[in-house]
Amino acid sequence: MPLGSADVVVIGAGVSGLASAYYLAKAGKDVAVVEKGFVGGEASGRNGGMISERVDEPPMIPMAVESLKIWPTLDDELGYPTEFTHQGRLQVAVSEEEMGDLFSERDEALRRGLSVEQLDPSEVLDLIPGITGRTLGGLFFANGGHANPQRSVQAFAWAFQDLGGRIYQHTAVTGMTVADSRVSSVETTAGPIETDLVVAAAGPQTGLLAEMVGAHVPVAPARVEIIATAPLDPLFNIAIVGNGLYGRQAARGNLLFGGGPHEWTDVGLTTDPNKTNTPLIRNIARRLAELLPGVADVPVIRSWAGVVEQAPDYLPIIDRLDNPSNYVVVTASAHGFGISPATGKAVSELVLSGQSSIDIGALGLDRFSEVGGDWREERGWIPVPHRS
Amino acid sequence: MESKPLVVVGAGAAGTAAAIEAARAGVQVTLIDENPISTAMMGLNVPQFFGRRYTDAMQDTSLTLEMVTSANDALSEAQEAGVDVRLGTCVWGAFANTETSRVLDGPQLGLSDGVRSWLMKYDRLIVAAGARDLGIPFAGWDLTGSMGANGAYSLMSRYDALSSRRIVVLGSGSLGLNTAIMALDRGIEVPAVVDVSPIVQGDEALLAQLRHRGVALYTSHTVREAIGTDGEVESVVLVEIDKHCEPISGSEKVISADTVCLAIGLVPNVELLSLLGCELHFKSELGGHVPNHDNRMRTSVANVFVAGDVAGFHDGMTLDIEFARSRGRLAGIAAAQSLGAIDEEDAVARMSDLRPADSTPTEVHTNWRRWLKSLVNCGGPDIFVCQCEEVTFADLIETRPPRYLGWESDPMSRRSVKTLLEDGPVNPNQVKRLTRAGTGECQGRLCREQVSMLLAEESGAGLADIPLMSYRPPLRPLPLKVMWPHEETEQVRSDWPKWFSPTSQVLG
Ligand SMILES: Cc1cc2nc3c(=O)[nH]c(=O)nc-3n(C[C@H](O)[C@H](O)[C@H](O)COP(=O)(O)OP(=O)(O)OC[C@H]3O[C@@H](n4cnc5c(N)ncnc54)[C@H](O)[C@@H]3O)c2cc1C
Repeated sequence: MPLGSADVVVIGAGVSGLASAYYLAKAGKDVAVVEKGFVGGEASGRNGGMISERVDEPPMIPMAVESLKIWPTLDDELGYPTEFTHQGRLQVAVSEEEMGDLFSERDEALRRGLSVEQLDPSEVLDLIPGITGRTLGGLFFANGGHANPQRSVQAFAWAFQDLGGRIYQHTAVTGMTVADSRVSSVETTAGPIETDLVVAAAGPQTGLLAEMVGAHVPVAPARVEIIATAPLDPLFNIAIVGNGLYGRQAARGNLLFGGGPHEWTDVGLTTDPNKTNTPLIRNIARRLAELLPGVADVPVIRSWAGVVEQAPDYLPIIDRLDNPSNYVVVTASAHGFGISPATGKAVSELVLSGQSSIDIGALGLDRFSEVGGDWREERGWIPVPHRS
Repeated sequence: MESKPLVVVGAGAAGTAAAIEAARAGVQVTLIDENPISTAMMGLNVPQFFGRRYTDAMQDTSLTLEMVTSANDALSEAQEAGVDVRLGTCVWGAFANTETSRVLDGPQLGLSDGVRSWLMKYDRLIVAAGARDLGIPFAGWDLTGSMGANGAYSLMSRYDALSSRRIVVLGSGSLGLNTAIMALDRGIEVPAVVDVSPIVQGDEALLAQLRHRGVALYTSHTVREAIGTDGEVESVVLVEIDKHCEPISGSEKVISADTVCLAIGLVPNVELLSLLGCELHFKSELGGHVPNHDNRMRTSVANVFVAGDVAGFHDGMTLDIEFARSRGRLAGIAAAQSLGAIDEEDAVARMSDLRPADSTPTEVHTNWRRWLKSLVNCGGPDIFVCQCEEVTFADLIETRPPRYLGWESDPMSRRSVKTLLEDGPVNPNQVKRLTRAGTGECQGRLCREQVSMLLAEESGAGLADIPLMSYRPPLRPLPLKVMWPHEETEQVRSDWPKWFSPTSQVLG
């Protein structure tokens, strides 16, 4: 069956692409999403589910704050559950270094007029019973929380379909036809789709796609890991960062915690990267048991990995190219889940009017005008060589 | 980190034979087996469907260790041949470099003795991890006393700790008939062997023996439910079925029993192979997904060999333990040859008395799907397909979010496996994420096959086209404090980065 044409072709059925597709369809556009695997099969269904105001990355604050306005309305808006919970985010310091981060984030939040509360160890203990006695202090952001990534990305997908949107799963983009500074058609493994506009939200592959249209979108793919315990009775509903980990207790009761080193990698355009776990999951387990000594007897029953992408400054890229002028780039630099509702809104506005009402000024491609073609090699953001 | 030339996982017939053969060829062999298994693990139905039907003797760990050793003569033979035998040690992980993960300085296993965990490198690996119980749901299959054939076999033959007094056996293949005979031999009553098929499936001689010992055989029957108070099976309700697997009302028989044993089939334990990226293919005759291997038991990953039930199990193998042994010996010789311990000529000579398979297996899933269909017909849409997460048949087919979310909406109620299918072939991993079937403490052991069969049923796809639900480490539920790396270096601790801080390339 030929794929025909669409007002907008979105490449990638991750949360960035699907949120964009949803708001575009809601605005009356005929949108086709092309996905090489299945909905949320990559980072969007594999992440930690943390949602915050991103005081740690100030240029993201406008997007993050806007998202936190939308998250509480999403279940009703989409008609499907996201498991969003809005009980706040607690940053726990168990080392002098983490204490230092705490102070700088507190100051940043105060400067921006965001709600933040500094806690002493006993107040941290009140919020998270059983937290380690090594706690030096905490920072509580009331406006934060978490959601279930898999359910959320599926909710966007289903709601998009309910508006008449099309999702082509198991269909990879292999090329693009550019004429007169515009993309006229997207080539896929299931044939071409003619289109007026392309939204490239292909995660780690976004850089490879940009090359096809002669643009330089500097992103480096990386693999990261996370673990899940057996379900427990409710302990806390707050998103937690501390002892080098981030994580949450899921609605079902499992503790889901990730963190630690990542590994730079390369990805193929149309293939699914290996989501390999390494013995690192043991170090994550240890840090979790250190953070919450009372759960040390709880079994780990699963782990997984995901592949994300990073721009040179660790920030998302949301921009519309000058040439080709009908091409929008969306990549999240491993921050994409929490901000996804705002991403969807900003992208749809970029498509519809060329302007976003959310401040994405800091997320444009112009900030990389000095970044050369071999920036990854220069920084060492490349895979280590294969051993024998 | 320990580093071994050859590690054999699984000390069953195939694994011990492989280890002995390789040791005799001059290889330093490490043989690992998770038995004796702790009751904590057994209680979670890991790695078999134990149904909590074990005696207090299982609590005494020195006793269980002694039982495991004395029940397995081949173990002392292995020890005499110089094999380093590690009992009570589970393999919960297997790590090897891939395109996206290159930091390991060699493939390694994650091991644990239940108190701590560690890693062990290997040059060659022989996976002889056996097969596990096939789970098929009926009302009451979550009661104590609902269990599987391999769980029962293990408790009887290794530990003498099966606490059953009266067992109803489901499945009349040689697996079921043998389970019944083993039970009778231990003084356990067997009031019934049941099969959905109109004729008994298994070996004639076994059948004759059972008849002689007064066991009733119910063909064209299924289980309506297992009934119990206080969470334990007290009786089993059988019902006759018509050719559409529908129960014939009025044909119910209530049989008093404290145990109902699923002996319909076994599934090769390919979890480690899946982690290592060994190519698998679906072969119904061999019980599901099985590893590709050459005629010397070498998988698509050059340093990994397989032997025994893990390479494929069929009912005839229940009667022919020699076959598993011969495959084990073959793998042991081949691994020794590949390590250079013996030359090719020597290897061929050592293989000369190995015999080929003597039975041709037949496809099993038609029978498994008949069972499943009859049980769903009897149990209705509300039977639990996934016990751990309490996902019912209806929840699965309608891709309902878990009940604890208390979510209902019109759009949600219009969604189902059928609507997912409109977007492309269904993937059990996607259904798992939506319904949570397979995400529980048994790590999906009891529901994987059912989920695949139900998806095949619903989609009209062949079972071979349903992808394998993924396996992830740890392959055993491992407490945080056990998984905890005691050997963690100061450097790992001090280099531990914040999320993507500039210096955070992975641990080497
Ligand atoms: C372990 C982990 C933890 C994380 N924790 C958090 C967190 O707590 N909070 C947070 O906000 N973020 C977190 N992230 C980051 C977040 O998951 C990602 O930033 C976000 O999911 C990115 O979404 P995306 O849609 O942009 O990309 P993706 O989810 O990567 O989706 C891109 C899609 O494009 C498809 N695609 C690629 N190439 C092609 C092609 N040629 N043709 C067709 N389709 C193609 C891919 O198959 C993929 O489905 C985490 C990530 C991981 C892995």
